Amino acid sequence: MAVAKARKKRVRTREGSSPTVVCRCEEVTEEEIRQVIREGHDTLEAVKRVLRTGMGHCQGRGCLRTIARMIEQETGRPVAEQRWPRSRPPLKPLPLGMLGETARRVKGER
Amino acid sequence: MIVIGGGVIGAATGYHLAKLGRKVLLLERDFPCAGSTGRCIGGIRAQFTHDLSIRVMLESVKMFSELEEELGRGVDWHQGGYLFLAFDEARERAFKEAIAVQRRYGLWVDYVGVRDCVRLVPGLDTRGLRGGAYCPTDGQADPFKVTYGYLAGIKRLGGTVMTGTEVVKVNTRGDRVVSVTTRRGDEHHAPVVLNAAGPWAAEVGRLAGVEIPVEPDRHESLVTEAVERMFEPMLVDYRADGCYFVQHIGTGHFVGCYTPEKLVPGLDTGVSDEFITEMPRRMVRLVPRLRGVKVLRQWSGSYEMSPDGNPVCGPTPVEGFYVSGGMSGHGFMFGPAVARLMAELIDCGEPHLALDQFALDRDYGRREAMK
Repeated sequence: MAVAKARKKRVRTREGSSPTVVCRCEEVTEEEIRQVIREGHDTLEAVKRVLRTGMGHCQGRGCLRTIARMIEQETGRPVAEQRWPRSRPPLKPLPLGMLGETARRVKGER
Repeated sequence: MIVIGGGVIGAATGYHLAKLGRKVLLLERDFPCAGSTGRCIGGIRAQFTHDLSIRVMLESVKMFSELEEELGRGVDWHQGGYLFLAFDEARERAFKEAIAVQRRYGLWVDYVGVRDCVRLVPGLDTRGLRGGAYCPTDGQADPFKVTYGYLAGIKRLGGTVMTGTEVVKVNTRGDRVVSVTTRRGDEHHAPVVLNAAGPWAAEVGRLAGVEIPVEPDRHESLVTEAVERMFEPMLVDYRADGCYFVQHIGTGHFVGCYTPEKLVPGLDTGVSDEFITEMPRRMVRLVPRLRGVKVLRQWSGSYEMSPDGNPVCGPTPVEGFYVSGGMSGHGFMFGPAVARLMAELIDCGEPHLALDQFALDRDYGRREAMK
């Protein structure tokens, strides 16, 4: 079965500059993130809810630290004092079939 | 007017109050969508059994379809429909009875056979399936985009939104509300205070000495990776070990949940090993070709349950203190219409559709069957 990514979004490029992509899973640029932080969405949870940063395949492993530093730069709130979004299972993407099989085994079904 | 709560109910009601010319101050304890709204899976349907729910949802669906224009930003509204599956005769009969009521109010809804179910959901496992209740005008939208859109609207209309601002006191004089006090110690005065605190509605009610019969319980969800579009409708399986899930058209992710057999009361938003294995089993059982799709994350949120599963909307014994809550898992979909009606009720006492059947002092004996 084809499990291709249904991604339509294109990273917008400013005239004459190349954008820095911070969240690669959801294709969110540094510029977009700084803009929403300046609009008042100045926590990791708030940025995540506006731009989907950290909601993709890597669940924030690739971008959260960078965004936390950007929040520190924009607001002065140190990275160490910021609230981190909760890590949730399965941590590494796992197929529905494999997870469901576990439930069937636990229940003693064939 | 003061609105307590920055979820969809508070944001949308604040927006409609501001549109009616009222000065709005919205106070959110944490950040917007930090409660139930940000944890919901975004389904929108008018297939209910309570006549007022059907009428309110018919309005809400219409409002969602115009929301992008209203708010000036995209909300990922998509009418993919809802398909409720019937695996036994009793369920089939219940759906047919509900459809008769829903049609009376003008909802486009049908009982469809197994072949139509498969046409709607290619790859659906039809073992034991008898048919389903299908409404093509039901749909989905992005709870974050909707709520942030309403909040931006409040600001655009001259209102104020304060996040990280918890209300710790609701101050009354005689039998009417006069102000609220925040955790920082600031006092904000207003003749009207709306309790839109979602799963915290009972807690906020008690601040004013009002009992709101709303109790949160935990519902778990999961989201998969984004994949090519596989089918449009939200699939609802009401069997004891059923589930419901939908593919988000905007992003391609599947999201879904089920109501646990043993309820987990309280505000806990932890997750269980049982759900992360049992939910996939149920999804793959219904649509085997989903088996290769990978799960990214599980989470949970609170359903704010009223005794009969219907909203609690209207005035309270404290004059000027209103409640809009008890959405029982349907706050996002009810949001736009309930918000406009509540704004009208607060503004002039007479909403264009009477909300009496959702009043705080109603008889809670009429349970919603399509929960």
